[in-house]
Amino acid sequence: MNVLPAWSAAFHGGQLATVLSLPLPDVRDWAFAGSTGAGVKVAVVDSGVDGGHARVGGISGGVALEVDTSAPGGFRVVPGPHEDLVGHGTACAAIIRSLAPEAEIYSVRVLGANLKGHGALLHAGIAWAVDQGMSVVNLSLSSKSEKLFAPLHEVADEAYFGGTLLVSAANNQPGPTYPSQYSSVVSVAARRGSGPMSLAYNPRPPVEFGAHGIDVDVAWSGGGSIVATGNSFAAPHVTGMAALVLGKHPTLTPFQLKSVLQAVSDNADPSPT
Amino acid sequence: MSDRAALRTAVAAVRALYDAAACSLALVDEDGSTLVYVVADGVGADEIVGVSLPVSRGIAGWTAMSGQPMVVSEVAADARFARDVAESTHYVPTTILTAPLFDADGEASGVVSVLDPGVVADREWTLAVLGTLAAVMGLLVATGDGTPGTEDQARLAALGRRVLDAVEDLGP
Repeated sequence: MNVLPAWSAAFHGGQLATVLSLPLPDVRDWAFAGSTGAGVKVAVVDSGVDGGHARVGGISGGVALEVDTSAPGGFRVVPGPHEDLVGHGTACAAIIRSLAPEAEIYSVRVLGANLKGHGALLHAGIAWAVDQGMSVVNLSLSSKSEKLFAPLHEVADEAYFGGTLLVSAANNQPGPTYPSQYSSVVSVAARRGSGPMSLAYNPRPPVEFGAHGIDVDVAWSGGGSIVATGNSFAAPHVTGMAALVLGKHPTLTPFQLKSVLQAVSDNADPSPT
Repeated sequence: MSDRAALRTAVAAVRALYDAAACSLALVDEDGSTLVYVVADGVGADEIVGVSLPVSRGIAGWTAMSGQPMVVSEVAADARFARDVAESTHYVPTTILTAPLFDADGEASGVVSVLDPGVVADREWTLAVLGTLAAVMGLLVATGDGTPGTEDQARLAALGRRVLDAVEDLGP
């Protein structure tokens, strides 16, 4: 049992307002039915991913970005296998795997052992994922730094125009963080009492989507699991759903995908009142 | 009252409020990598004060990293539980409630932990109240040197001390 993370309030405390969506008949079937996420490349920008964890079931590759003051940009890029320094990235990857079992998951490690990271690494991690042609990028992390507002905005726009969907968790504390505040990303907060495939759309952004993130049984380091709460664990549910949609409809652009996610939301109604 | 004495009073009051076996406060060091237990009350208090551990370890560490108050009803079944740290205090709890303290920048500056509360832990009020009290403790930490940065901070800290006094009065 946990108290709600910041930004979750929009999805609680009464009936969620109905939102008008595109008139798509049987939209959940159209979006998800029969899809496994096969062929969809998903990057998890986080603390690393333990591909050997039973609930992750292997990953397709990855890269670790590490501080190196002697390198251009102040960091170095280390391709290949790496461990999860916390368990947080493994938790996110396992959630994605549980929804989209055949998605190709790539680990992009930018966080250290205390779940902290340099803004340059976050920026570089997103840029790497865009350069590699990832279809969806899970960002269960964000930055409060105003200095990073413009650089992260720029790379988020590059992702948006280049066909990479950024799914960005809002911070667990009040206040703006980036890139979750940008309209070019799919921003997510935790929603109480919702199942893994449930989704709600917030008619009063900046946080647009609410997903399963309260008291979630998640994979953790050492092959174990924990019960945890946080917007961090809501975002990968949306990432998994996005991977499923793209598995069936691979040509959808990020803005089309966001419209589909809104249309499959529990509080969406295609009938104007 | 010194800052450390005020914090000691605070954890004793929280322990009384929750009818708990112990209550402790750990602070995050400047580079955000280590938690150091600075005051405690109840069983194992003498042993835990002065203990430091990486923020990446333990349920308190997770609370500092995630910024989320939490309750773990069966710590033995939780992969985050730092059993060796608990064993070093000669007391291994069953249930832990934690809540983060925050500094003026919104960064976690510490964690208050309640071990084996006598009240039913898995209730809405337990974490909501602990989170509120942790916020007050955060102000005590921020203004602990007696030179608060702003008048607002000083007023809030004074309010916090009154709240803590009231909580202490409610104890058994």
